[in-house]
Amino acid sequence: MNYFPDEVIEHIFDFIASHKDRNSISLVSKSWHKIERCSRKRVFIGNCYAINPERLIERFPSLRSLTLKGKPHFADFNLVPHEWGGFVHPWIVALAKARVGLEELRLKRMVVSDESLELLSRSFASFKSLVLVSCEGFTTDGLASVAANCRHLCELDLQENEIEDHRGQWLNCFPESSTALTSLNFSCLKGETNLAALERLVARSPNLESLKVNRAVPLDALTRLLSCAPQLVDLGVGSYENEPDQESFVKLMDAIKKCTSLRSLSGFSEVAPLCLTAFYPICQNLTSLNLSYAAEIQGNHLIRFIQFCKRLQRLWILDSIGDKGLEVVASTCKELQELRVFPSDLHDEEDNDTAVTEIGLVAISAGCPKLHSILYFCKQMTNAALITVAKNCPNFIRFRLCILEPNKPDHTTSQSLDEGFGAIVQACKGLRRLSVSGLLTDKVFLYIGMYAEQLEMLSIAFAGDTDKGMLYVLNGCKKMRKLEIRDSPFGNAALLADVDKYRTMRSLWMSSCEVTLGGCKRLARNAPWLNVEIINENENNDLMMERNEEDEREKVDRLYLYRTVVGARKDAPPCVTIL
Amino acid sequence: MEICNSYSSSSVDSTNPSPSEYSVNLSLSLTFPSTSPQRARKQDWPPIKPRLRDTLKGRRRLLQRDYDTCLFVKVYMEGVPIGRKLDLSTFSGYESLLENLSHMFNTSIICGNHRDRKHHVLTYQDTDGDWMMVGDIPWEMFLETVRRLKITKPERC
Repeated sequence: MNYFPDEVIEHIFDFIASHKDRNSISLVSKSWHKIERCSRKRVFIGNCYAINPERLIERFPSLRSLTLKGKPHFADFNLVPHEWGGFVHPWIVALAKARVGLEELRLKRMVVSDESLELLSRSFASFKSLVLVSCEGFTTDGLASVAANCRHLCELDLQENEIEDHRGQWLNCFPESSTALTSLNFSCLKGETNLAALERLVARSPNLESLKVNRAVPLDALTRLLSCAPQLVDLGVGSYENEPDQESFVKLMDAIKKCTSLRSLSGFSEVAPLCLTAFYPICQNLTSLNLSYAAEIQGNHLIRFIQFCKRLQRLWILDSIGDKGLEVVASTCKELQELRVFPSDLHDEEDNDTAVTEIGLVAISAGCPKLHSILYFCKQMTNAALITVAKNCPNFIRFRLCILEPNKPDHTTSQSLDEGFGAIVQACKGLRRLSVSGLLTDKVFLYIGMYAEQLEMLSIAFAGDTDKGMLYVLNGCKKMRKLEIRDSPFGNAALLADVDKYRTMRSLWMSSCEVTLGGCKRLARNAPWLNVEIINENENNDLMMERNEEDEREKVDRLYLYRTVVGARKDAPPCVTIL
Repeated sequence: MEICNSYSSSSVDSTNPSPSEYSVNLSLSLTFPSTSPQRARKQDWPPIKPRLRDTLKGRRRLLQRDYDTCLFVKVYMEGVPIGRKLDLSTFSGYESLLENLSHMFNTSIICGNHRDRKHHVLTYQDTDGDWMMVGDIPWEMFLETVRRLKITKPERC
């Protein structure tokens, strides 16, 4: 390969898309490193504090697409204070200053301000795609500047963000000349929507494939939108509290019949059941169905709909579908690859026959041979069921089980679920992500350390007996990247046993465990290439540093550590101490 | 039923100073989230995202224990005091319903559009309590609103 001119090698590298592969290429030789970095268009940064924007730009001057992740995963569950960090602004400032030809920005769990969005919209003339997932800190004013100034915008995808809705006219800000939209998702906006502006925008976007509206878009507006965009592949529906009258219903159904390309359906929060039936004409074409917000639709309606969806590959649903409903899914959806079953009753209010149990899980595993990813919230589980599931589905890549009551044992034997999860990790040789729950001892971690060779992400809650549990995992799982633990009795011995292990991992989270301030300080001293952050919402920095040796035995409420090449961050709030 | 495991006891280590003026809240580890008031306030269990949590909180209709995918309705033939029961979910549309009813009652039954003196007409009572002609609305909508069926003599309509 050394005898090829650089342009040829660069052309060959163009075919290599995966980040892992490109990272490997850059390690082969100095010349390959240079060719690779100068030609790299897409960069993924899993932790925005592991590197800084200046070094990123220096290494990859041809950057076109950047993905950044900020807060740790448990921030999704209110375990990380809002002000913790993950600000995108310095990144946009640096990219703008260096005149990087940025075309795509994908952010997850980051803090984005209107100022950042305004700067973004003015700094990158070829900007095409903005995807924000679980972000916060901005308003519809920021969206207005993106709409107005990004003349080549194709994709604006807002998923699960906290956006302050100023009920302004942000949709009106798309200029009349803007016709390039392929994807528009504003389902998380809580306020009013200018329907006329939306309809005009959709009408002049012939390439629009994905449209997800928010709850303020009523049925008749949806009918009009579908009529001018029958080419849609992916649709997110709004909210319709009342049963539609016959005329509206028939018109909607007629519009839906024309959407022969529709493959993916979502939305349906606060929706009267009849509205779901309007989609019967196209349901046999669906490959993806997300009804996880459809809390108003009863199980029998869901089942009636799903029994026609023979081509489903991805299904997200509430547990109101019940075990019987999952049996219908198992016999209907033979192409199913990914299933997520979410809880519908958080406070045990209802006569709880509506939740799902091990019966539904076993049925799915038996009926769906292509299943590789599952997230399953249930009220009970047994070892026998898990062992059966493992036998039926050795191809799991992601297996996440959440039994709603912590520490709950096998309900038929009263034993721990160690053997069940042990069977899963032993059978599923390609398992990359695992969440465990129920009554678990150190033994389950022995199994995980022994068998889960490809495991990259592990979530532990209310599990284990001693430090040995955590040690089994740290010593055994060679490919571990993200380990997150809460409410489990792991302490300093486990934390400090192998400091170099954290060089190979992106991050470790431990909350409500047994690690002490002294242990964390010791770790920080031995590993200067780690940021060891203590999060404590009732304290501030100064108080913590003044503490004397006595308080080293103080248990740490929340610990978050991650490898970094740029040292301690300067933007931490008072509740975060970096040791 | 609370399960006592070794974890609970190790949290209450008497040699460990736990000054009450500091924030570390060890009591959280002894109670289960669904019952602990601290956890309920913190809203960090079960591990679901805020948007789903808000959706579930805002739910108005409590889901009923309605697992049957079948839809049994009463069917009466006018002039016959004893009725029948029929599971509408087994039919794919109006045609198969009519065919089956005609067979069941041994007479010819039609929908509203093609009325004449010879055939019986199928009507239904909807959720408002009104008696309507079968066949005017889409089948799926009919399934949602039908409460009972009546086969009437032709002159009545």
